[in-house]
Amino acid sequence: MGRVNPAEEALNLLRTRLCNPSFVFKPLSDSPDSNYSKLKFLISSSVTEACNNSILLLGPRGSGKIAVLELVLKDLLLEYPDMISVITLSGLLHCDDNSAFKEIARQLCAEHQLLFSKMASFDDNSQFMIAMLRECGLAHKTIIFVLDEFDLFAQGKQRVLYSLLDAMQSVTSQAVVIGVSCRLDADQLLEKRVRSRFSHRKLLFLPPSKEDLQRLLEHILSLPVDSTLPHDYAVEFNSKLQNVLADEKFKQIINTYMNSDATVNHLLKLLFRVVSSMDLGSGFLSLENFKTALSNNQRQPKLECIKDCSILELYILVCMKRLEIKEQNSYNFNSVMKEYKSIRDSFQTSDYYARNVCIRAFEHLLQRELICFTDNRGHNQSVEFRPAKLLILSHELHQGLKSYRSCPAILLKLMDREV
Amino acid sequence: MGKEESPQITRRTTRSSSSTTVETTKASDSHPPTINDLVFGEDLISLNDLLSSFPGRRIQILELVRLLGTSNSPMLPLFMYGGASSGKTSIILQMFRHLNCPFVYSSCRSCYSPRILFESVLNQLLLHRKNAANGYSSAKRCERPSDFVNFLREALSNVINNSKGNPRKLETKKLVGQADGNMIYLIFDNLELVREWDKSSTILPFLFNLYDFLKMPEVGLIFVSNTSPDTYYSNMGYMDPIPVHFPDYTEDDLCQIFLRNQANRKLYSSFLDVVLRPFCRITRRVDELSTAFSPLFEKYGEPLSDLGVVPNEETKRRLFSHLQPHIAPSLNEVFKVSSQSSPEAQSNKETKKKSSRRKLGVCEEIDESDFHMSTSAKYLLISAFLASRNPATLDASLFDSMGGFDSRKRKRKPSQKSLEHKETAEQELLMKGPGTFPLERLLAIFQCLTSVAEGSIDEEEQGNEGLGVQGGDGGLMSDVLLQLSSLCNANFIIKGGSCPLEGSTRYRSTLCEDMALKVARSLKFPLSKYLYRR
Repeated sequence: MGRVNPAEEALNLLRTRLCNPSFVFKPLSDSPDSNYSKLKFLISSSVTEACNNSILLLGPRGSGKIAVLELVLKDLLLEYPDMISVITLSGLLHCDDNSAFKEIARQLCAEHQLLFSKMASFDDNSQFMIAMLRECGLAHKTIIFVLDEFDLFAQGKQRVLYSLLDAMQSVTSQAVVIGVSCRLDADQLLEKRVRSRFSHRKLLFLPPSKEDLQRLLEHILSLPVDSTLPHDYAVEFNSKLQNVLADEKFKQIINTYMNSDATVNHLLKLLFRVVSSMDLGSGFLSLENFKTALSNNQRQPKLECIKDCSILELYILVCMKRLEIKEQNSYNFNSVMKEYKSIRDSFQTSDYYARNVCIRAFEHLLQRELICFTDNRGHNQSVEFRPAKLLILSHELHQGLKSYRSCPAILLKLMDREV
Repeated sequence: MGKEESPQITRRTTRSSSSTTVETTKASDSHPPTINDLVFGEDLISLNDLLSSFPGRRIQILELVRLLGTSNSPMLPLFMYGGASSGKTSIILQMFRHLNCPFVYSSCRSCYSPRILFESVLNQLLLHRKNAANGYSSAKRCERPSDFVNFLREALSNVINNSKGNPRKLETKKLVGQADGNMIYLIFDNLELVREWDKSSTILPFLFNLYDFLKMPEVGLIFVSNTSPDTYYSNMGYMDPIPVHFPDYTEDDLCQIFLRNQANRKLYSSFLDVVLRPFCRITRRVDELSTAFSPLFEKYGEPLSDLGVVPNEETKRRLFSHLQPHIAPSLNEVFKVSSQSSPEAQSNKETKKKSSRRKLGVCEEIDESDFHMSTSAKYLLISAFLASRNPATLDASLFDSMGGFDSRKRKRKPSQKSLEHKETAEQELLMKGPGTFPLERLLAIFQCLTSVAEGSIDEEEQGNEGLGVQGGDGGLMSDVLLQLSSLCNANFIIKGGSCPLEGSTRYRSTLCEDMALKVARSLKFPLSKYLYRR
């Protein structure tokens, strides 16, 4: 068995860490006033005091709500074995009450080693759930309901929420309902009868501060000194990493990146790119890795599309732009062809192609999503007659034409002139 | 391990099918599937082979290799996007051949609904083959995303546990078809088609969030799409996968691609020097260029007696001048795939062209028109064209009871206003397109036209009286509704909106004027006299 390159081993370790949310969010949860401790306190108190509770975890997508929740639950399951069972529902999968109750019943059966029948009806499932709640309440076991994408449960008639919360109130039960949502106004979406049964506790997950961010980066990227990796290599790796993290340019890169989206998950995507581009020869991370990762993530999709277009397609785009400038409210392929012909007549360009070629170029532009039809699902007209519009701004088109290799000069002139 | 059980199907079987099932199971069950079936299964290729077989894609392949990592390291979901025929699917499949990892591939083009997509993925993971024994049914019936997540989790943990259970010996020589590592990858191809599905508002966020639902680090998700990730944004958010962009090929890359697998590279490269640049002004897609180049290359090599010769400057110039007159018309035909005509027809075409160069003009193409239609279908087409083109109020004057036409209005000298009217009317025609008509109007016009035709035939024969017209009419009318439905299927006539008052459907003809004139000429029908010109 050959010796595995330590750089490869380090790479695998870093990638495993980045794909594991529990590892990532641990350092953020250490302080006593973090969301982790508050949540843990709430749930453990309702377990020990045998009461019902409900709470909402709110924060932008990717700020680690589910990750922190999983950390809390993992610790609680160790502290109070056999006293907690967890049921997870998702608003994306189980938004209608039939599938929601079926899923609840299935998970309860799996938890308590009962036989689950797929043929059970909705009434059977809801009766079963109420019965289980009662039994668990009598046996002093807490059931924790985790409702992911909570705002999707609040669509429609909110039957699931109401039956759940109602069951909690009427039956001697010990249940905690934890709603997780990206909408900060998720509790405003609840109906009156549901809201009255829901406590108004909310935990906000805010983006990490700069110090927290620094700590997080060190925590994720530093190699453990006392593991299977060679000691010298790990120490040198860490010191090089510290140099990079202290660099001014590095701070600029991180700030630019986090300006668009300040959540932790967004940062993880950047780090994943950085780590994958690590040079396996030297085995160290450098500032270059961060720079290339940033430029790879900053994409301008419309400019990329323009670069992929052929010259005929550019002609069609410029014709459509000119029609828009002439303030024609709606135009279709036939008007574009007329404009194309008039350009050819006045400027004697050599790029004049037949109608069927142009219609295929038009369809290529539709596929690239640079233009689209303005009537929705108006499939009772052929392609030539349906009104179309541009999906690209004039300055993007201008910029794309300028950076296009071997763009015909006539196109730039046509774009510049108002004629 | 790997024993497949055919699920019990409770449905009625005919006597013949139940008697023949016994033999077929024996024949097909000789090879129980294992996880190694999920690997590509052919000879392993090295990274250099991969790079050399995809010219122009070096950067993308290296980026993919780095992002996928080794077969033991987890990864975040990837999103590969680029234009059509830019090599995304073939590169990712060959990449898995190089990495020798098990993967599950499903394309949203062949799996055109959520149920088929889910069942295809599950069938592959559960190593279930559809054969006559289980009645070509899937392993599990799965329609809803919630069921899919549960089944998928089960199937994936089974596969991963089985692969871990086999102790993998680290040999220096890798066996063909043996998977290594314990990652398994799911590839979803043609993702842009999912946006057209009915349930796309829930399915797309579901697919993008699948990584979070599963919470299994041994699973890697790869999405392949023709459009960039910003076309997928919707109200429901999801975590963005990592984008990998496949730009279209540059002209040098196209040269390299076309030169592969050519018998005589020097000859082909001189051919490319001539044709590549003008064709790249129209399109840079490999599939469209290759269909345009193959007939041109045949024409290019015509003057050469021996196609294996290396051309020198003088030969190149000669070949170029031979090809030159064919390039321009071929540019205008670039997207047409011409039908294969038999050699006799081709020689006929050449002799015909030489003889009747000026006589018939456009007419000669009619005899070689690419499609053949029955006479009644042609009349139906013309009637539909007239119905779309002319306003309904003119029908009475154009088609009188004898099927002839009245003398037209007195022609007045066009005044300034009427010229402007004409322009705006043309503009309207350009913008609005063909008008709609109800079915009854179409049938009425059809009846008028065919009675004219019958009448002219009868005049020649001088046999029948008025009754003959009726009899012949009945013959043409009987299958006209069948013809109409086949014309609708061929998109010559499409359903327009429905009439606002009555709610009956209206139809629209999609024929252009040139085509209609061609069809009318083949019937020797004076179409231009019936066309309404303002």
